[in-house]
Amino acid sequence: MLIGMTIWLNQIATAIANLVLAPLAWIPGGLSLTLLAAITGLVMLVVIKYTSHQPALQYTRNQIKANLLALSLFKDHLGVGFRVQGALLWGAVRLLGLSVVPMLVMTIPMYLLFSQLSLWFQSRPLTVGQQTIVTVQFGAGQERSVAAIQLNALATPAAMVTSGPVRVTSKNKVCWTIQAQHPGLHDLVFQVGETHFTKEISIGESAMPVSIQRPPRQLTAVLVHPREQPFASDSPVQSIEIDYPRRPPTWVTGSDWWMVYWFLASMVIALLARPFLKVHF
Amino acid sequence: MTSNHRKNITRRSLLKGSAFAAGAGTLAAGALAASYWIGGGNKVSRTLGKKVIVIGIDGMDPRLCRSMMEAGLLPNLAKLSSRGGFSELATSMPPQSPVAWASFINGAGPGSHGIFDFIHRHPHDQCAPFYSAAETLPGEGGLELGEHRLQLDFPPFNHTPAKTVLRRQGIPFWDYLDAKKITSTFYDIPSNYPPSPSHYGHHRCLAGMGTPDMLGTYGTYQYFSEDSPQRGFEEGGGKRSRLRFINNTAKAKIVGPQNSLLKSPTPITVELEVHRDRASNAALLEVGGQKIMLKPGEWSHWTRLDFPLSTPKPLPQQHASGICRFFLQEVAPNFRLYVTPVNVDPSQPAVPLSEPPGFISEISKSLGLFYTTGFQEDHKARSNGVFNDEEFRRQATTVLEERLTLFEYAIENYEDGLLFFYFSSSDLQSHLFWWNSDENPLHPTRSTAEAASRYQYVKELYQRLDKIIGDIDDRYGSKATLFIMSDHGFANFGRQFNLNSWLRTQGYLNPKECTSILKNADWSQTRAYGLGINGLYLNLKGRERDGIVEPGDEAEELIQQLITKLQGVRDLHGEQVIRNVYRSSQIYTGSATALAPDLIIGYSRGYRASWETCLGDLTPEILLDNTSAWSADHCSDALEVPGVLFSNRAFRQTNPALIDLAPSILDEFGLPTPSTMTGRSLFQF
Repeated sequence: MLIGMTIWLNQIATAIANLVLAPLAWIPGGLSLTLLAAITGLVMLVVIKYTSHQPALQYTRNQIKANLLALSLFKDHLGVGFRVQGALLWGAVRLLGLSVVPMLVMTIPMYLLFSQLSLWFQSRPLTVGQQTIVTVQFGAGQERSVAAIQLNALATPAAMVTSGPVRVTSKNKVCWTIQAQHPGLHDLVFQVGETHFTKEISIGESAMPVSIQRPPRQLTAVLVHPREQPFASDSPVQSIEIDYPRRPPTWVTGSDWWMVYWFLASMVIALLARPFLKVHF
Repeated sequence: MTSNHRKNITRRSLLKGSAFAAGAGTLAAGALAASYWIGGGNKVSRTLGKKVIVIGIDGMDPRLCRSMMEAGLLPNLAKLSSRGGFSELATSMPPQSPVAWASFINGAGPGSHGIFDFIHRHPHDQCAPFYSAAETLPGEGGLELGEHRLQLDFPPFNHTPAKTVLRRQGIPFWDYLDAKKITSTFYDIPSNYPPSPSHYGHHRCLAGMGTPDMLGTYGTYQYFSEDSPQRGFEEGGGKRSRLRFINNTAKAKIVGPQNSLLKSPTPITVELEVHRDRASNAALLEVGGQKIMLKPGEWSHWTRLDFPLSTPKPLPQQHASGICRFFLQEVAPNFRLYVTPVNVDPSQPAVPLSEPPGFISEISKSLGLFYTTGFQEDHKARSNGVFNDEEFRRQATTVLEERLTLFEYAIENYEDGLLFFYFSSSDLQSHLFWWNSDENPLHPTRSTAEAASRYQYVKELYQRLDKIIGDIDDRYGSKATLFIMSDHGFANFGRQFNLNSWLRTQGYLNPKECTSILKNADWSQTRAYGLGINGLYLNLKGRERDGIVEPGDEAEELIQQLITKLQGVRDLHGEQVIRNVYRSSQIYTGSATALAPDLIIGYSRGYRASWETCLGDLTPEILLDNTSAWSADHCSDALEVPGVLFSNRAFRQTNPALIDLAPSILDEFGLPTPSTMTGRSLFQF
């Protein structure tokens, strides 16, 4: 049920992202991530404004400020000091409690946005001529399929097999080294007998979504790899993965670092815009 | 010009001509200026500061250069030679790379820097050998926590962690430039690990020969095969392990650095899983979460290996990053996989490899990963039979390609001051492929045709280096002083002489059954011993731990005897084996002579100390064929193997020597020759 819903949400998010995030292909990576962070920060503010109890949040923040003032004024009075610290703690708990609703409201959209952004910023597409390894993972008891699988070269002009397959029977997987041939988003086609299995491959210098894995039908995998339809539980092939290169290590758009930058930039934008949108959190 | 023409010259035409000439002159000047600023198709420095570029080509031989220039095969070196100068460059005695490069660095002989051989010994330990240019000193103190021992070098603990120290003494010539705010950048200078510090911040350096791998050795490859012995074994410069495939999958361990945080340090290993597919003749390697697929004959890219160092809880785990490349030699029937020595990761070096320490990471940001060990061409893999000639040549070519990328980086980032760049390929490829059949027609192990084809590899390498020099000459020939130099030349190494066996035969080393001076020498009956490639030591009383030879007359008499007898050693057909025997007291001056051998053996061309001599082993025979793949060498008499010196500036001095280069470079920057140097500027009378 949860997996089905996640797959459904991913499909909708991917369809929307294909349209909304398409301009990322021609905007420089740092600028596009900054713009997205700004939009995210502003949307978060609006969501907080309309889903939280703003007067209560304002009152609690004022109480915390008052208690901090009291703490500095009565630092020689132990009794007052302890009481004020207790009140501060309570204020923090209350603030957290008042933030639960907006956080809950934002959880799913933020996950969907984050997982779509990771397709653009976590890895970079293969460049033409670049080689990488593609791995097809089979389910248990699929020894015949492991032996029979082929990468259909005719149906996959976008990539050329340069070595392999290496069939790792002990781990039910088969690997090839492929070389990217033509820019764009293409499908690799694998064949076991008459059955075909596809995996999207991203090739080119420009930005484009990069789906590392077509996942198995498992919640954790589906959460992390939202772009492609998962393989059915009874499919002989359980997942297909391409080793994409990591993005160059920069503070803004480097692999992993983009998350930190996106999160911090959206927080900074939200803090800067807070007085103008009159939001308390 | 004829009178008719002269008649036709009017004021107007003269003015027009002058204007045209002025215009043409301006254009030409503009073009010249543009060429200065732009430098043709490649980037050149635009600054007007003084520029000196030194290209160090280890082992480049003057005889071969001369013959190839005469045959028109080295046009760029010939051009440089005609414009400036070409000469043999007198090398150090002994002509070994660490000794020679240290002499270049100090502008003075071994007595100034204290490096006399690849191998030294501490006399108080009698003859325990160590690498002469650097030594690892054990740490002191430590906080013991369970199985761990932490060394904390801050108060109140003040422990002294183990550290590697540079043994080269004296003042390197770049210190004089540094003090005058003249920039100097060195890429892979030998005899400078750990890199000496820059006192004023104008010196940058990447450590070269002598830089260890992650195992703390000077390069230990790892070789996995199905035909290795069951328990594996270690051989000089490598480790062999047996692979056992079950269902076409085998597991192995790549050995990394020792975990120095343990009381009893043990090597850290990384799991390597190997899967092979006989049908497709390929293998998949899985290591540290990375997949590498190779076909026979294929090299992988550099692969990062993460070595976790266990720490006492709750301290966070420490990590050391190493890099290696894999070379798949065969899938079946005998699976064979070579792994390069685990190099220190230049992007996050676990030990300082450059001065300033961040210099190497800065390079790595631009170039990615590259070899960082001092010896990059894996000659040991060839000597031990892990590589064949072609495989070694390919690996060496890979190293050269990497060096050329670094060279391009060095040139692109050069502004002014001194730039030094070092090429090792000419040395290590010559060691394995050089064979001049004009001197010795018969190679000890190769047919004449095979020896000639291998020698051709050396010539092709010289031609490639010539093109590189041509490129640098095109870019900087008119803007910088260029020095193309080598530390020594080369000679065939067909016969080897076991010095200790000879000493035993002559009764200087006992007992008669002695097989190794490190194991079973009777020091109470031994008056002299050999260690290293060219060194001979007296077992001197008061200096050696178990010394018996009285200093003074007895030592002097012994030295006289040894010199006379050694110079009289003859080979089967009467060939003189040893050209000269030098007294260190006569050839070395300076304050760093404490570890100098008493005598330096200068072998004739074609001869060298035997492999066993270097570490004190004895063989039944004194003279024997050199059957190693390492069939050429330079550790003979310095007079036999001078280096080369090319420059685009004419020398005013004749007979240049390696120690003259530092004063000449300083002279180019207007600095006088310091009193620490014994060389002289080649540009002054």
